[in-house]
Amino acid sequence: MIEWQVQLEAFLASFTNVAAFMQLHWSWPAAESAHFIGLTLLLGSIGAWDLRLLGLIGNVPAASFHRLVPFAVIGFGINAATGSLFLVTFPNQYIYNSAFHLKVLCLILAGLNVAFFYLVVFRRIRTLPPGQPLPILARVSGGVSLVLWLTVIVCGRMITFFRPALCRGEEALQFVADCIVR
Amino acid sequence: MFDPFFAWLESTAFSLWMVESPSLFAFPGILAMHTIGLGLLAGLNAALDLRLLGVARNIPPVAFVRLLPVMWLGLWINVLSGLALVIAYPTKALTNPVFYLKLGLIAVALGILRALLGTIRSRVDVESRTRMLAAVSLMVWAAAITAGRLLAYTCTRLTVEFACS
Repeated sequence: MIEWQVQLEAFLASFTNVAAFMQLHWSWPAAESAHFIGLTLLLGSIGAWDLRLLGLIGNVPAASFHRLVPFAVIGFGINAATGSLFLVTFPNQYIYNSAFHLKVLCLILAGLNVAFFYLVVFRRIRTLPPGQPLPILARVSGGVSLVLWLTVIVCGRMITFFRPALCRGEEALQFVADCIVR
Repeated sequence: MFDPFFAWLESTAFSLWMVESPSLFAFPGILAMHTIGLGLLAGLNAALDLRLLGVARNIPPVAFVRLLPVMWLGLWINVLSGLALVIAYPTKALTNPVFYLKLGLIAVALGILRALLGTIRSRVDVESRTRMLAAVSLMVWAAAITAGRLLAYTCTRLTVEFACS
């Protein structure tokens, strides 16, 4: 454990009201459901554009998928909000969790890719007539985006199995039940 | 009544591997694939629904037909990973009414997708009936996802032997 991780844990643990709310009967399952709906909205809107950039829907102007981006932002907002709820409820389950570390790393890289896309690529494809091949950077950015968001999903699903001091292999069936089924 | 069948499934080599293997490619990996498949199928379906509801009007709806192979890939990933998850914990899934609700909602969502694709392929203008179907599609997928997520919290029996905690 590194000093700043301990400090971050203490800071997140200070939101005791939120944590108490999240431990009410249906709060956690409801927030989880919203988190999955958010990921679907995000991956669907961004993924359709990524697949267009990769050349799957050849004859539609690539820039027209821009209008779906607000819905990806809504999906991201839902997930940032519900994700924060999880984080402040059980901070030590995330801060010392390798799957969560990799998820955050991929989120940062995906954010940088979005910045790169809008600063460099988008201006070039906006004026491109339909049927014209996309610049290689557009394809790379689309492919990177798809891979990163899929990795974020996989890492998120893996968080349960990397919980510190919980859910390590070999435990008795009832214990595995608690860990794996959730 | 089905306990002998569940007990037999739970004793098969594949079920035991899913439940007991410490490998990340066993239960955790297959669970992760199930979420990837959900994202591809329901996500792209949601993008299509949004288009039919009037977002991004300069994308012709028929363009989404080109995304169908990816959506079918998502569907097949989830049929196979879902089967594997049911074989891992058959009692947990099959004794839970919410599981059948989830399957029903997915069937409805796929039926709506089929109807929408028929309209899109005929290249007629998007009418109010199509827009309503698209809105219902979004709601049914959200309900299916919620039902799926709630399976972990609504089960009563984990295996033939153990109750859900």
